[in-house]
Amino acid sequence: MFSELRTFSIALKIARRDLLDLWRAKMLLFAFLLMPLLLMAMFGYMFPTTPKANLAIGSMPTAYPNIPLALVQVDQGSVANAVAYQFVDIAQAQQLFQVSEVTSYQAARDSIVWGTISGIVVIPDGFTAAINAGMQATVQVTVDETNPQIAAVVQAEIATIFGVISSNISTTIMKDTMGNPAFLLEPVSIDQVPLISGPSTTFQFLAPGFMALTVVFGALSGVGFAVSREREQGTMDGLMVSPITRRAIIFGKILSQTVRGLIQAFLILGLAMLLFGVRIYGSPLLMVLTMLLGVASFVGVGIILTAFAPEQETAQMIVILLQFPMMFLSGIIFPVTSLPGWMQWIGKAMPLYYAADALRKVVILNAGLNVIGMDLMILIAYAFITLTAAVPVFERAMTR
Amino acid sequence: MPMQRTETHAVPLTTETMFPESGGALHMVSDYAIETHRLTKRFSSFTAVDHIDLAVRKGEIYGFLGPNGAGKSTTIRMLCTLLTPSSGSAKVAGYDIARQANEVRKKIGLVSEKLIMYPRLTAFENLMFFGSLYEINQDALRKRTDELLDMVQLTPFKDKLVGGYSSGMRQRVNVIRALLHDPEIIFLDEPTTALDPQSTRFVRDLVKELKGMGHTIVLTTHIMEEADELSDRISIIDHGKIIATDTPQELKNKYKSDNLLEVFLTLTGRELRDSASDRIPMRRVMGRM
Repeated sequence: MFSELRTFSIALKIARRDLLDLWRAKMLLFAFLLMPLLLMAMFGYMFPTTPKANLAIGSMPTAYPNIPLALVQVDQGSVANAVAYQFVDIAQAQQLFQVSEVTSYQAARDSIVWGTISGIVVIPDGFTAAINAGMQATVQVTVDETNPQIAAVVQAEIATIFGVISSNISTTIMKDTMGNPAFLLEPVSIDQVPLISGPSTTFQFLAPGFMALTVVFGALSGVGFAVSREREQGTMDGLMVSPITRRAIIFGKILSQTVRGLIQAFLILGLAMLLFGVRIYGSPLLMVLTMLLGVASFVGVGIILTAFAPEQETAQMIVILLQFPMMFLSGIIFPVTSLPGWMQWIGKAMPLYYAADALRKVVILNAGLNVIGMDLMILIAYAFITLTAAVPVFERAMTR
Repeated sequence: MPMQRTETHAVPLTTETMFPESGGALHMVSDYAIETHRLTKRFSSFTAVDHIDLAVRKGEIYGFLGPNGAGKSTTIRMLCTLLTPSSGSAKVAGYDIARQANEVRKKIGLVSEKLIMYPRLTAFENLMFFGSLYEINQDALRKRTDELLDMVQLTPFKDKLVGGYSSGMRQRVNVIRALLHDPEIIFLDEPTTALDPQSTRFVRDLVKELKGMGHTIVLTTHIMEEADELSDRISIIDHGKIIATDTPQELKNKYKSDNLLEVFLTLTGRELRDSASDRIPMRRVMGRM
């Protein structure tokens, strides 16, 4: 009992020293605090908040607002004029497109080549005549295919706007002659009942994942780097030659890295709430517990991998090698179900998957221990196995 | 009286071999602070330390010399429990380095070649941190830290980060860090390398003082003059084997030289270690310029 208390007390001293070191290294501290900010900003704006369009309530939010677009109105008939007016009105009111009217298709095409616009909508000759004759009229759309992501957005949003315009035209035609236009146009409608009360945003999905990622990566790389750095600078000898248990050294390093990881994770959460409207629906205590188990599950792996690295650079490379697939396969950025089958297996073999899954359920769905229990049990199992192996491996590696 | 020996490498010198009838009961009353028996360290196929037998007497300064890569640091790291021996055994302060490592650690202080200190901590913080790893009462530790800082004339600088210290100041902190827990045995691994003459003098005088206070000191150095001045006895190790052990004077007498460097070169050879066999004459290189 006394020896366990002493181990804990020494671990606290080692952790305190590590954190004091971080506090005094101003450049390192700056980078440490900037990292979550950058991560947030980059992913926050790359995958911005995109609630689903709800035309019934006049909402059509977009991830890419005010994309420059050319409208070429060849037909000057009354319907063409009304359609062009409605198109510009909706596009600009919803901040979907910055529409400029261009006189010819060729001029508009040149603008795409120059990179000043991302798409063209042409209302061709005969548009008004077709509608008036009771025939389907067509608009032509050209997009800048050099940027597939923007091209897909432009196509989708143009289709959405013309969906609204078409409905308006149909409603006008049918209103006096055929009864209820809504029934005729859309006999079955969909009423979305949201799982959570607030808006469902991409970042609501990403933020808990990033929190788990930051904490787990911190534990994985931080402990390994700290150990290899101390070996290189010689201070590890000072620890190893003193009458303290090896567990105290490992636990001290884990403690300091966990505190660092939690600071970064809560910075991420704070910024996500402040900048991207992420809301927490679950228990903060359960969030901390999940992150602590995430750290525990992976820190042993970091120690084992880096214990054998002869110097810090090799340790760094080994950790990056592990971090890279973890980041993409553990469901942090992309849902695991979107991956090919064999990649899903790899993703689900990584404890980060369970940490992120549990954290997401807590943050977004206010899940309790009963729901995330299995995730936590898996993390505990990982922690038990890897930490049990890590202590003797660490001791052997340090004295081999 | 301790046994007088001129060569230790031929016979394993341990209490068991010297006094087999004692059944190991003499461990605690041995005259030797350090005893090794066929101590060996192999790294894959390379044998860094090859069946060495050492016997360091209590209270002596034991010079442990050898060319680069001879096995000095590996031996010291094994004796400090930082490396696990491949075979053989060793006792430090009466404790087995493999089975009683923690007891060994309480009895030793290490001043290693790399400075054991955190540059972003002050001297006082460094000493308090490393001291707190030993079972020393906080008040006693603070008092001891202040005394040691005073002893090496660093009190006015104790609250400055050691990253801003000169090499000499850092080495003084490094030395007193190893003394915080008043160890019986102090390992000094090249303590004056890269120090200015004043700091070198200071460290050497400190080593003599420590001996005067009854500490056993194992000193490795490449400075033969230093080994000659400080050591009571010297062992020379080469290719992992002890090739000579004696007092500096006896070694000089035996090899008919008044200079320990000459003795060292006679025993270990004059050729450069870890280098190509053919040397381009300097005249040819300099003549091209």
